[in-house]
Order: sequence, then C-alpha cells, then structure tokens
Amino acid sequence: MESSNRNIQQEIEEKLKDEVLRGALGRFAEAYPVSRLKAYENVEDIEALRDQVKQTKMDTVARIEEVADQFVAEAEKRGAKVFRAADGPALKKYLLDLCREKGVKRIVKSKSMASEEIHLNKDLIDAGLRVRETDLGEWIIAIAGHKPSHMVMPAIHLNRYQVAGYFSKELKTDIPPDIPLMVQVARKNLRQEFLQADMGISGANFGVAENGAVGLVTNEGNGRLTTSLPPIHVVIIGYEKLIPTLKDAVPILRTLPRNATCQLMTSYMSMICGPTPVMVKKDGQWTEQEKELHIILFDNGRLRAAHDEKFKEIYQCVRCASCLNVCPVYALVGGHVYGHIYAGGIGAILTAFLNSMGDFEKINELCIGCRRCTEVCPGKINIPGLIEELRIRNAKENGLPFAMKNIFEIVGNRKVFHTLLRLAKVGQMPFQTGRLIRHLPLFLAGLAKDRSLPAIAPTPLRDTIDKVAKNPQNPTKKIAFFSGCSLDFVYPETGEAVVKVLNDLNMSVVFPQDQSCCGKPVIGFGDIETTRKMAKANIAAFEAVNPDIILAACPTCAEMWKETYPEILHEDPEWNARAKKIAAKVREFTSFVAEEYEKAGRLGEANAGAKKVTYHDSCHMRRVLGIFKEPRKLLRSTSDYELVEMKDCDKCCGMSGAFGVKHADLSIPILNQKITNIKDSGAEVVAVGCPACMMQIRGGLDKQAPNIKVKHVADILAEELDKKKK
Amino acid sequence: MKKVCENWEKVLLTTTCGPEYFEEFEAKAKQASAEIFRVKTPVEAKEIITNLIKFTNAKKVVSVDNVLQQASGVNEELQAMGIELYTSQNDIAEHAETADIGISGVEFGIAETGSVCQDAYAIESRLVSMLPPVHIAFMPSSRIVPGVEQAFDVFSQVFQRGYLSLITGPSRTADIERVLTIGVHGPSRFIVIAVDEPVSGGVA
Ligand code: SF4
Repeated sequence: MESSNRNIQQEIEEKLKDEVLRGALGRFAEAYPVSRLKAYENVEDIEALRDQVKQTKMDTVARIEEVADQFVAEAEKRGAKVFRAADGPALKKYLLDLCREKGVKRIVKSKSMASEEIHLNKDLIDAGLRVRETDLGEWIIAIAGHKPSHMVMPAIHLNRYQVAGYFSKELKTDIPPDIPLMVQVARKNLRQEFLQADMGISGANFGVAENGAVGLVTNEGNGRLTTSLPPIHVVIIGYEKLIPTLKDAVPILRTLPRNATCQLMTSYMSMICGPTPVMVKKDGQWTEQEKELHIILFDNGRLRAAHDEKFKEIYQCVRCASCLNVCPVYALVGGHVYGHIYAGGIGAILTAFLNSMGDFEKINELCIGCRRCTEVCPGKINIPGLIEELRIRNAKENGLPFAMKNIFEIVGNRKVFHTLLRLAKVGQMPFQTGRLIRHLPLFLAGLAKDRSLPAIAPTPLRDTIDKVAKNPQNPTKKIAFFSGCSLDFVYPETGEAVVKVLNDLNMSVVFPQDQSCCGKPVIGFGDIETTRKMAKANIAAFEAVNPDIILAACPTCAEMWKETYPEILHEDPEWNARAKKIAAKVREFTSFVAEEYEKAGRLGEANAGAKKVTYHDSCHMRRVLGIFKEPRKLLRSTSDYELVEMKDCDKCCGMSGAFGVKHADLSIPILNQKITNIKDSGAEVVAVGCPACMMQIRGGLDKQAPNIKVKHVADILAEELDKKKK
Repeated sequence: MKKVCENWEKVLLTTTCGPEYFEEFEAKAKQASAEIFRVKTPVEAKEIITNLIKFTNAKKVVSVDNVLQQASGVNEELQAMGIELYTSQNDIAEHAETADIGISGVEFGIAETGSVCQDAYAIESRLVSMLPPVHIAFMPSSRIVPGVEQAFDVFSQVFQRGYLSLITGPSRTADIERVLTIGVHGPSRFIVIAVDEPVSGGVA
C-alpha cells in the first residue's frame, strides 16, 4: 500500500494553493458542460444512447467468462497470442520474457491506463529497456516524473511554462513556452522513437468477442503508429473492455468521444483484427512480414468485481473522465489527491478494486455526493452510490473509528440524542469543541471563516407542533409530517410553515413524537447497522399513525425513506415489506404541494411579483428525486416574487452529507461559487427546498451578503397565506 | 494490395447510404478541420492536387493505388511536373517518412461524425496516411452513410481480419493547457477529394 502514509489534508491544502491548477481546472469546469452538450446536438436521444451503453455492458458482465473465452478463441484463431494475466507481476513477467526472447530494446507506448495501474514502465526501464510514452500528455508527465492528474488529459495540471521547462531539461536544449512549437518538438522527437521501436504497447478501448478485434481511439495518431510501425504489437486490455459483437461498439463510440473531448469522433478510431502486415528492413531491403500480435487480457481485480452484485457496475465505465469534469471537488483539487492513477469518484472505486482498499479509505470522503456525475456518465454508473457501498463495507471490515462509533450510538438512540440536542441550545454542551462536534449531523458542522453556523432553536418543532397545527374538521388527507433533525431542532419556523400550508389545503397534520434522524449522516459514514435501527424506529412510529401521506420537506429525508430504507432492509423480508409499503406513501413537500395547488387551480405562474427570487436546486432534489419544475411553479405563482435563474442553479452548494462537515476547506470554495452566482442573479431572496442547503447558503450569505435572505419554499408559501389573511 | 473487403460498394448496398448525406458529412468533417473538395469528374481532382503541390512546394509524394486517382490522371501530371512519386510497397516504406504528401483512397464517409473509413489492412495505406504532413484521400461522393450505426452494419459483415480506421480530420492534441493544436503524430492537413462521377471498377 504505497500511499498509506499520506497526509491527505495537507495535500488538499497544497492543491488549493496551486494557482495554475485551480485556474486550469476552473476554466475547464466552466467550458466543459456547454461543449459536451454541443457535441450531442445531433444525437436524438442521449438518454436512450446512455441506456444502450449501460445495457450492453451489463449484459456482457453477466457472462464475462463466456465472452472472454470467445474473444480469446477468435483472436487466437487469427494468429494472435493471448495471455491472461491475473495481476501485475504476471503481466510484467510475460512482457519481460517476451522482450528478452525477441531481443527487444526499444518500446513505444500509446496510452494504456491498465499499464499505469501497475507502474509497468518502471519495471521495463529497470530491465534496461528504452520506453517512450507517445501520447503527448503522457510523455509530458513521464518526463516530469508525475502521475496523470486526469484520465483523458493527464497533464492538465501543468501550464506551458512548466511544460517548456520539462522539455528543455529532457532534450537538453532551450525550448520556448510556445505550444505549437512544443508540439512539433514532440512530433520530431517521438517520430524517431516510432521508427526505431522494436515493440509497440497499446491499450484498447474495446475488445470484440465475435472476431477477436481490438478498437483504439486516439486524436494524435500515436495509437495508429504504435500499432503499425514496430514488428511486435502488445495490446493490454482489461476484462471490462470486452463486448460481444462489433455492433456493440456503436454506443461506446457515439458517447466516448463526445463525453471525453466533446468531439463527434476522435481523429483516429482504429480496429485491429488479427496480425496485420508490417514492413521491416533487412540488409537495406524492405520486406513485408506478418506482425506479431500479443494480447494481454488483464484481470487485477476485475473478475472479482464482475462477480460482485454491486461492483460489477464498474464494467459500465468507458474511461471518458466526464465524471471528473463535472465534479466540484475535482475542480478544486485535481487528480493527484486521489493518490493512485484513477482520479475522481470513479477513481476512488477503481482504486479500491484495482489497487487497495487502504487507498480508498483516504479518499472516499472526497465524494460530496452531489450526483452531477450520474447525469453525464455514458454508462450511467451510480458513482456516489458505489462509494457509499464501499464505505459500508469498509466500516464492516475495519470497524468505525472509536469516537465515531460512540457518537452514532448516541444518534441512533433517539431519546439520548434529542436530550443532547436540547441541551446544546444552551451552549454548555461539549458540542462546541473537540471531536464530537464534527461528527454529529449536519447542523453541528465545523466552524469556518466564510460560513456562520446556525444556532439550535430555543424550542424544537416537536414541542410546538400541537399548538401550531390548525387541523380541519373534515380533512381531505391525513398527513404525517417527518421533519428531519434540521426542521425539528434548527429551523422549527420552517416546519411550522409546512404545517400552515398543509392545513390551508384542508389537510390534517400529525407529528409522530417517536420519529428521529433519518439516518443519512450515519450511513454516510458507512454505519449500516445503526442506520437500520433508526429506519425501523421511524417506520414503526409512522405505521402507528396510519397516515394517507408521509411528508418530508427535505429531499434527503425523502430519499432515505423511499430508497435507502427498503434497500438496507432487503435481507429481512418482514421489514423489507413494511419499508416498501410505507415508502409508497412518502412525498416531498414542493412536488406534493405543487400538485395540490394545480388541482385547486392555484398555480397562477404569473411570475409578476416585485421582489426577485432565485431558486437553488438541491443535488438530491434535482438528481435523485428529479424535482426541479415544481418548486419553480410554486414560486412563479406567488404575488410577491418574480423568479430569476442564477448561473449553475443546480450546482452543489458544498454541504452534502459528511463532506461539508469534515472538509470545510473544500466545502467553502464550492459555497463561495454559489454565493457569487446568487449575488450575480440580482435576487434578494434565495429559495431552497432543502434544509441542509438552507443551512449552508444561509451560513455563507450571513458572512458575505447579509442583505440576501434564504427561505425554504414552505416559508414563502406561508408568507403568501399570511398576506392573504390580512 | 490486402483489403478487409474486396468490394465495399457492394456491401454498402445493404445499408442506408447515398449522396444525399454528403452535405451533412461535409459540414461535420469541416468542423473537425478536414478540407473537403467535391468534384464532378476525377479529372477535376488533378488541378486541386497540382495546385496544392505548387502552393506547399512539395517535392515528394507517396501514394497507394486507387481507381479514382488513376482515373484522374494525377500521377502522370505529377511526373510531368518533376515530382518524385512513389507507389510501390517497398518505395512507400522507404520514402513515406520523408514525403511531403501522402495520397490514398477511402471507402466511405459518415455524415454524423464527418469521418471517413479507410480499409487499412495494407500497411502502405497506413504509412501514406500517417507519416507525411499532408494526407489526401479520394472518395466517391455517393458513398456516405448517415451514422456510426450504419458504418458498423457494414463492418459486421466484412471485418474478419485486418485493420480498419475511421479518420476524422487531421491529427490533433489539446494536452497542453487544452489549447487545440493540429498535427501531432499524424498529418496536420487532411484533405478529402469527393468525386461524383462513378468510376468503373467500383472499388475506390
Ligand atoms: S464512470 Fe462514467 S463518466 Fe466516469 S469515466 Fe467512467 S464512463 Fe466516464
């Protein structure tokens, strides 16, 4: 475990100070989403195409051995030599033996992440071989002695001046920082390497079982030269790249270039089926020979993943890196912090499987859970979901850190937890300092310069609800209100607003007193046992009141009820059935009210109020629940407000789950972008549908623009009702 | 010359393909920085190539056999101009690296992406299209399929052995500061000459 001694906190701080990196990644993060969408302009249905990628890969992984056997048989039938390498050492031995046997001295490589995964170059160089990476970015980082910081643009962390410095050092001559000139220098230099190489090593973007072909996409043309000029070609291909038929390459080729580089197709897409001719010069005479083709089918954890119910999903990855391109954390820290060669969320997962779980432990907290990646991934991988699963397994295997375990025992015990929260408002509890504060649910988050923290309310919602609720005589619906911790203990006035809106709709509201935290902060740290306990307590509490609807005014709570509870209880048939039954009754506030208002003809959508309001989409509301139109409809129908959109309205505010708590240093820059966009919108009110976002944005505005107010949509609707009554 | 498929024309009949997709192909290919010339007859191609040679001051050309090029009479013209022209396999192997221009024939184009498909089984096809700084490709303008999907309909039927490439514009990189730079390991100019008039023999 090479990185076990890393101080990740320190590395993050260094990256945050790296101006070159921040500048490059910031500009890229701005440009990428627009360019990507432009590349998809002539695709009728992006979703259908992504489904096709996903389906193809899912079908393949379900019978991976069979597909692999066919691929091997077909390739061998055509004269390729195939070697199945179980791990790095096996691969290296095969390759070094081959080099020795054939008298290979010079090797050119076109990009192969599988080879970087095992640091192959080092072994080759140690064995006295001359090895050249030929992809420009890979060559740059090779001579700089860096690791790739991005899967597609490995040298994105360097600027032209730095590159010129490395070139000058490598070529022992002064190279000016002129990009076209440097590219020509690379061309000239590497051309000689191509012409003299005894062996070419390439990766592959896909391998086709029906004819044993491999496919390669490149822009520079180095892939074509690597596979054409040297007399020996070695392909290193991971099992996850296999597809049954040639036609299965279509959805990959229609998404990979569009997502990776915003191109409709890369400059070169080559497919090689069996050994092809090569020209060799002997005694001054050129003759045609059949090229030696070796295919190394690489396992290194991939087959284990294929048989894992959850992690077989990594086979859906086509290595386009778009998940990094849209990741707010990656945009701040770049790829190196992730330690191994695979960066970002998918990198954390691949690293756990292909490198070591130890590395995962260090980096898993860098996933903020905002789910932007799930909107662009060609294979529709649920990256945050897989990370959460890894956390659960990690906690199961290695246990939770002692202090955290104690805290979750507290959170898991409603009475103790709530007593502590009540005491916290007085401010004498040890919440203010020490470890405890950082690991408690969201609103006990760490203090930070640019963000203030909410105070615990003097009286929680659970104590006032009976007085506040004006339940009608003949209600149309009986609503059981699940407030979640935030509305109960921090923002009870918003909880009261929810009740007011529901009562006004002629619905009655009950508040089961035995309800507790939804469990999100606990499962966020991988503690599935405590979460199960909390799920069961909540389910029982709500079954007891037998409501028509269970309403949450927090998208994360709604998601926990609807998706997480049934899932974590799936091994227990009785509880699973109960969880599913009750999940069907759970509704999120804004979408529920919008529907009711619509029925009642109350959705005016005039959008003609005097005050400007802008709406911030919570990550979970937008991307898990798919709710974004409804809150806007509600806002447009108010008499006081005019809805104006801010830039990147659905970009994370930086507060997801444990992240905002543990990594304030990363959470704050993300928050600050949000604050800037809010200010630029010209709105005087920011509306949200999520209490956690409310807490984060309020904290930021409080310090930076106190004249802009943050309100939950429920608050705004309640205001409207008050106004009407007057 | 080795080919993946001896008669692309015939197999293209099995899928959607035709000159009606040319406009879209041209737009997309240009977007990828390819240069597209559409001509009625092969002879018109001659002028395009000779102009290019004068303009770039090219001295040496390597070229693989293709019927459109033969019908254009460009080879004779080049010889008359005193240009070194190499067309045999061994000569191409020897001279491609130092040639100024490489000429080849490609099988069909894809409208969706502006790509052309090159049957690259023969090593000399790859050498002329990769090593010189300029690559000129002859293609019948009637052979355009609408999308990647149709291209693979065709590949599925014929690809049993060999080397197939899609070429989309010239070689490029954005690896330094994401600045697009044309011409890394392959050609910096990629020129397609699309010929309307069918040439007997069918195989381009
Ligand atoms: S996980 Fe999805 S988005 Fe990320 S690299 Fe893989 S295919 Fe691309």
